[in-house]
Amino acid sequence: MLPDLPALRSEFDAALAGARTTADLKAIRDRFLGRKAGLLTALLKALGTVAPDERRARGAAVNALKTDIEARLAERESAAIVEDVAPGVDITLPGRVPAFGRRHPLTQVRERIEDIFAGMGYQIIEGPELEDDWHNFEALNMPGDHPARDMQDTLYLATPMPADEQGRRASLLRTHTSGMQIRYMEAFPPPVRLIAPGRVYRRDNFDATHTPMFTQVEGLVVDEGISLGDLKGTLQAFANAFFEASVKTRLRPSFFPYTEPSAELDVECQGCGGRGCGLCKQTGWIEVLGCGMVHPAVFEAVGYDAGKYTGFAFGVGIERLALRLYGVDDIRMFYENDLRFLEQLAP
Amino acid sequence: MKLPVAWMREFVDLPDGPSPVADRLAACGFAVDGIDDDVVDFDVTANRPDALSVYGLAREASAAFDVDLRPLRLAATPSGAAPVRVSIADNGCGRYALAVADVCVGPSPEWLRDRLASAGVRPINIIVDITNYVMLEMGQPMHAFDVARLAGPELRVRRARAGEPLTTLDGIARTLDETMLVIADRDRAVAVAGVMGGASSEVTDATTRVAFESAWFQPGTVRATGRRLGLKTEASARFERGADINAPVAALRRALALLADLGAGTVVGGLSDVYPRGADARVLTLRRARLTTVLGTAVPDATIPRTLTRLGFDVAPTDDGWRVTVPSFRVDILREIDLIEEVGRHWGLDRVPAHFPALASIPRASAPGVSRGRLVRRTLCGAGIQEAVTFTFIDAAAAAPFLADDAVTITNPLSEKFAVLRPSIVASLYDSLVYNRNRQATDVRLFEVGSTFSSTRGERTAVGWVLSGSRGSHWSGDAGAVAFTDTKGAAELVAEALGAPITAAAADDLTWLARGERAAVLVGAQRAGWIGRLAETRDVDVPVYAGELDLDVISRAAVSGAREIRPLPRFPAAVRDLSILVDERLPAAEVRGTIRSSAPATLVAVREFDRYQGKGVPSGQVSLSIRLTFRHADRTLTDAEVQQAVETIVDALVQAHHAVLRGR
Repeated sequence: MLPDLPALRSEFDAALAGARTTADLKAIRDRFLGRKAGLLTALLKALGTVAPDERRARGAAVNALKTDIEARLAERESAAIVEDVAPGVDITLPGRVPAFGRRHPLTQVRERIEDIFAGMGYQIIEGPELEDDWHNFEALNMPGDHPARDMQDTLYLATPMPADEQGRRASLLRTHTSGMQIRYMEAFPPPVRLIAPGRVYRRDNFDATHTPMFTQVEGLVVDEGISLGDLKGTLQAFANAFFEASVKTRLRPSFFPYTEPSAELDVECQGCGGRGCGLCKQTGWIEVLGCGMVHPAVFEAVGYDAGKYTGFAFGVGIERLALRLYGVDDIRMFYENDLRFLEQLAP
Repeated sequence: MKLPVAWMREFVDLPDGPSPVADRLAACGFAVDGIDDDVVDFDVTANRPDALSVYGLAREASAAFDVDLRPLRLAATPSGAAPVRVSIADNGCGRYALAVADVCVGPSPEWLRDRLASAGVRPINIIVDITNYVMLEMGQPMHAFDVARLAGPELRVRRARAGEPLTTLDGIARTLDETMLVIADRDRAVAVAGVMGGASSEVTDATTRVAFESAWFQPGTVRATGRRLGLKTEASARFERGADINAPVAALRRALALLADLGAGTVVGGLSDVYPRGADARVLTLRRARLTTVLGTAVPDATIPRTLTRLGFDVAPTDDGWRVTVPSFRVDILREIDLIEEVGRHWGLDRVPAHFPALASIPRASAPGVSRGRLVRRTLCGAGIQEAVTFTFIDAAAAAPFLADDAVTITNPLSEKFAVLRPSIVASLYDSLVYNRNRQATDVRLFEVGSTFSSTRGERTAVGWVLSGSRGSHWSGDAGAVAFTDTKGAAELVAEALGAPITAAAADDLTWLARGERAAVLVGAQRAGWIGRLAETRDVDVPVYAGELDLDVISRAAVSGAREIRPLPRFPAAVRDLSILVDERLPAAEVRGTIRSSAPATLVAVREFDRYQGKGVPSGQVSLSIRLTFRHADRTLTDAEVQQAVETIVDALVQAHHAVLRGR
């Protein structure tokens, strides 16, 4: 005659309700789950004697009971530890965590990108957010009437600013951090291997996918013999490091006035593994950055020998990467500074 | 550019279905925005006006799939003089061609209407539809005038007169100015050149004779005119990027061929073609070695001329490469690098092997602000303040309290909310405090590192913070509400991190801060920032403490060698506590000064550890408790020595401040 499972369960319930100390719990564990003489252990061993047509159902029922008993015992055992140390401190009360803030997500992503490139021997440069026309447009192969100036509607200053040493006055909010690279090349000869992070401004609406201010990291490498192949290898190394995986990438030809050839780098969508999903608009690819070989006109503007040197440049939008990284779908969240959002980040 | 693929198949043999065409052209630089049935929406970059046409994209496809491009079917050039005179009186028009036809205006056949509609252009009548068809097919904008409604009959290309009126085809009465180029008949403007025609000479069902215009206008002129009028059309989009100066006549011949095919009319007289300054074809040198250097891979010799020829270039081999003649429709090809891009994008950027650039020289150091910014951020985070990022432009009201008359404003802000560049980090950070308090957050502590702006001091890098609510509550006891001492502490912490000693000093010009709870922060004698309680707390009903430091000033003041470790003391310190009663208005700094100046060199530290007013302390006075630490470098101090020092200090305090020693 096989023991009645409901009866066994009632017996366990009563025993558990009566348990007061860890010793009581240990006794219950031994009686029901003991490796040698435990009641349930015995039942499982006895399954072999059950008629084959009943064996499966019986086995499942015994196992379900065993799982339940184990879970409830474990719960009481962990609570029992508290009872054992009483009457000292209540170790379940929250500890006194020193107050701490978290770095803003845009800072975290920016530093992550900076660290990746710093590890590849890039120097990190800084520069002004208010730019003059030369550094923001002219030197970047966008003379006065260039249609590309339309591509990035610019915010202009109404207030006259003090002139710099060359007599240039800031007249606009920089539309990219490329101006810093021009300043750098004007000051230092090749070779160049740098990134230029910072805030940039466009006359864009403020909605779920646009902001009039956003954050960029641009990169520039100049030396003899730098090729598009070097650009590809560098961006592949960056993508692998950023996404912490060996990711598939592709370059699509594109157009920027200051690079030629120009391209966009796509990374295979991490959400769907390239099969196509909502995140990548069914294309399987995520657009990550714009890049290209530095246009010789830019070298000529800064006095580099365009016949001797070649180089590549790229620009990453930090917000776009941050949206992906944190699974956020509204870019405005990065500028509202809602503590309920920011406090979910790593300290 | 919406491209019905069937239309493109008239010129090239392509694989079935729209997808292979879309994919291949996307790989050549024409990103696909969407595919709807047989229509592919290509995103044509600003440098490629030639590809804003079916034939232009067919040319790309011919190179991409390595298939022949069939020519367009053009009517023979009619001979004789056109019955409408044409003259050009301005350099803004480089070429003006015209053909006149007697027509019977009615609706276009269904296939033509469908084709226009699928390309996103609304069918109007057979004449207008033919002009639009040619524009979509060849990329050359055209216009048709009702000849009977022209005064003349003649057409002049000239600058508009100031205030000259013109009602455009969209029914809007516009006022022109002298910067704009117009097409005029004998009496008045009848079209804005390259942008939109006028309503007065519009082709209607009653029209019996039309003049087809096919011209070339200077990109800058069209762009400026379109901007001033706030008008962007299919025509202006093509002209302002740069049309083909050799297309006008071919486009007219194409229109005449369609006119004949559709039985819609017959040409009258010949073509007018006013082309004052002819243009020579651009000839460029493409060096094999340069191409290999830039791309980082050698493209096979046979591929290069084949690709370029299919794209419409004339290619002749030279010793070290090719001599390449650029077709006039490729306005973007100006130098060798542009040809390298053509070869590269058709060869396939994905076929270029990835390589990693060698580090051939010692990297230069990063800008000092980078590590400084990181240090400040981490320090303040560690102090329980959350980093925020806010817009650097704010509304005038938010900026006003922080400004003298040195505001930097934006000419073309998106809205008044974004019109002034922040004079202070706190000016923009405050909004985030309000935002959080409006969402039930009570203890809000935020900081931001960024730029501040003034027309006199220019752009400065600063850190600013706002603190409100409690210091943090815990079941073991409340830490109390934030106070002046917290904002001062934040300033001291940042200064400590950057290695610059700061002091707080009274200042009258900090008008945005509450009297009695405000101070300037100084390094030496130089102003480095401010701390205090905000005088006005818009939309917040608790005190808000804030502060800001100019990071450049602070870091320039950093004491060199401040981080050098001094040897640890070998002898024990003697500690004595003093409690004194002094006038409540006496600054602690003065007490400290008196102590230091009167004490022997063995006094190594002075620290206030309590300040008390209330029971047992006469009103108007304050009990100040101070811990004095004495130590001699070479021996242990005796009790007597320490006692002597303390008495000297007490005497000095009594003398200088009428201090009364407590608990004795």
